[in-house]
Amino acid sequence: MLNKYLALTRSAWMLSLEYRAEGLVWMMTNMLSIIMMVVWMSISRNRSVNGFSTGDFVAYYMVGLIVRQFASAWTSWEMSNEIREGSLSPQLLRPIHPIHRHVTANWAEHVMRFVLLGPIVLVVLILTPDAHLFLTPISISAFLFSLLGAWFITFLSDYAIGILAFWTSQATAFTQAVYGLRTVFSGVLAPIQMFPLVIQNALDWLPFRYMLAFSNEILLGQTRDERLLFGLVIQWAWVVFFFILTRILWKLGVRSYGAVGA
Amino acid sequence: MAYQIEVSHLSKHYQVHDKEPGLAGSLRSFFARKYRVVKAVDDVSFTIGQGEMVGFLGPNGAGKTTTLKVLSGLLYPTAGNATVLGFTPHQRETAYLKQFTLVMGQKQQLMWDLPALETFLVNQAIYEIPRAQFDATLKELDDLLDLGPIMKKQVRKLSLGERMKCELAAALLHRPKVLFLDEPTIGLDVTMQVRIRDFIAAFNKRYGATVILTSHYMADVTALCDRIIVIDKGHLFYDGNFRALIERVAPYKIIKLQLERPTTSEVLSQFGKVEFSDGLTAVLHVPRASATESAARLLAQLKVEDVTFEDPPVEDIIREVFAVNAASNPTAQE
Repeated sequence: MLNKYLALTRSAWMLSLEYRAEGLVWMMTNMLSIIMMVVWMSISRNRSVNGFSTGDFVAYYMVGLIVRQFASAWTSWEMSNEIREGSLSPQLLRPIHPIHRHVTANWAEHVMRFVLLGPIVLVVLILTPDAHLFLTPISISAFLFSLLGAWFITFLSDYAIGILAFWTSQATAFTQAVYGLRTVFSGVLAPIQMFPLVIQNALDWLPFRYMLAFSNEILLGQTRDERLLFGLVIQWAWVVFFFILTRILWKLGVRSYGAVGA
Repeated sequence: MAYQIEVSHLSKHYQVHDKEPGLAGSLRSFFARKYRVVKAVDDVSFTIGQGEMVGFLGPNGAGKTTTLKVLSGLLYPTAGNATVLGFTPHQRETAYLKQFTLVMGQKQQLMWDLPALETFLVNQAIYEIPRAQFDATLKELDDLLDLGPIMKKQVRKLSLGERMKCELAAALLHRPKVLFLDEPTIGLDVTMQVRIRDFIAAFNKRYGATVILTSHYMADVTALCDRIIVIDKGHLFYDGNFRALIERVAPYKIIKLQLERPTTSEVLSQFGKVEFSDGLTAVLHVPRASATESAARLLAQLKVEDVTFEDPPVEDIIREVFAVNAASNPTAQE
């Protein structure tokens, strides 16, 4: 399996390099985070908002850039096309599940973007005087673990949406709908602490927060101890849920695949 | 195992919705979709032994490709059974996927933006082909297909024929025991068609691979397959020896004559059935068994400027099969 992954990663890397300009443009989709950061910085200029100082907002959105970059997926777009046009067929004939090609493509792209984005984030964090991170061995390990969880939830849920194309031939409408919900409730527009308490409580149990804000909070030291443990349990419960969901959907979907064309 | 491919009473029915043309039609179909069932494959049975090369013939939409897709595990059969190499294709077991290949003239597995060699290397890994075997097979494929310079060019910069060569190589690197070739020569010029055809014959001979081939080009099938299966509208019309079929529905040869002086049909009819005659040129059908003898007689007795002997075009033969079967019963088998 390792060899297969290495070979797929190699070709995914080559493709990413082939499309390096496109990769840069995709990074620009992060502009929303930057805009929201500036908005919250100006709101919090004179006094902190719900416990967030201006520096906290900078730290939140800078960490958020990395998390959001890493926990992003676009597989549903590709699957939608592959299923509708029938180009999934050659993939189904190979003795490896098509998901692995998407996973390696996703990672190759992330590595690419991280190389570009990482230094920028680091410089901004160093230059902003009161942008503090809570860096302890536990918080760093928990952050990395939550980052992986965020990736799994994002990738698997997007993959599940992609599988819907087996029935609808077009799944991108769902992608858009989920993207909308995610932008609001994962913590891109505002940290979760800015929401009314009722919504905050609900978000503890829903997957959105665990795709972004949760990881930010860990590295800012806002979520610790029991809250942190509770969060990780819920996050990974969602990972398991989406894992099972995609497996079931895939089985059913392939059954109804029309192998379109020719 | 007696047969490598066994298909019994296989059916594949699709539900499709019809859309009338135009915006009004789109609107109507938005609110009330009309569904109908298409029987792409209907109660088809056949068996194929190891190393056989079988041609699938039939008009567009006959069910040829659908049958291949069921055999490749891309589609679930609606009814009936299919086994290939002892596997049930739609279960898509890894052990099965490693032993066959499906090449579709209109679908590709090569990565569009990278050289074909990259796809070969990925396939080496995912089919777990040992290094030495990979090198040896690639060399052989290179000899047969002349891949040298083209496999290092970006796929999107290759011509259609070059791409097909690489596509075949990518599909055969793991030395599959069973090949499903769906229109492998589509869109290619005659020279390239012949190249691909020779290659398929050579691969079959060298590895003893079983081949099912569909093609619009009768020449592909005539050149490669002793046995043909004729399908139309999902039904199997004929399964058997190609020569035997020709003997049965077209037991004659065609003689085309260019005469030195005008000759009447009455005179010509001593030698065979006159299909066409305008005095100086004529087309005769003569019984296959006595073709040589009639030709000799003809050349001895008439002043002939030019003469050609031909087999009836395969298209005509197939049309004949359909006509005969439509008149009698639709599932006749040899």
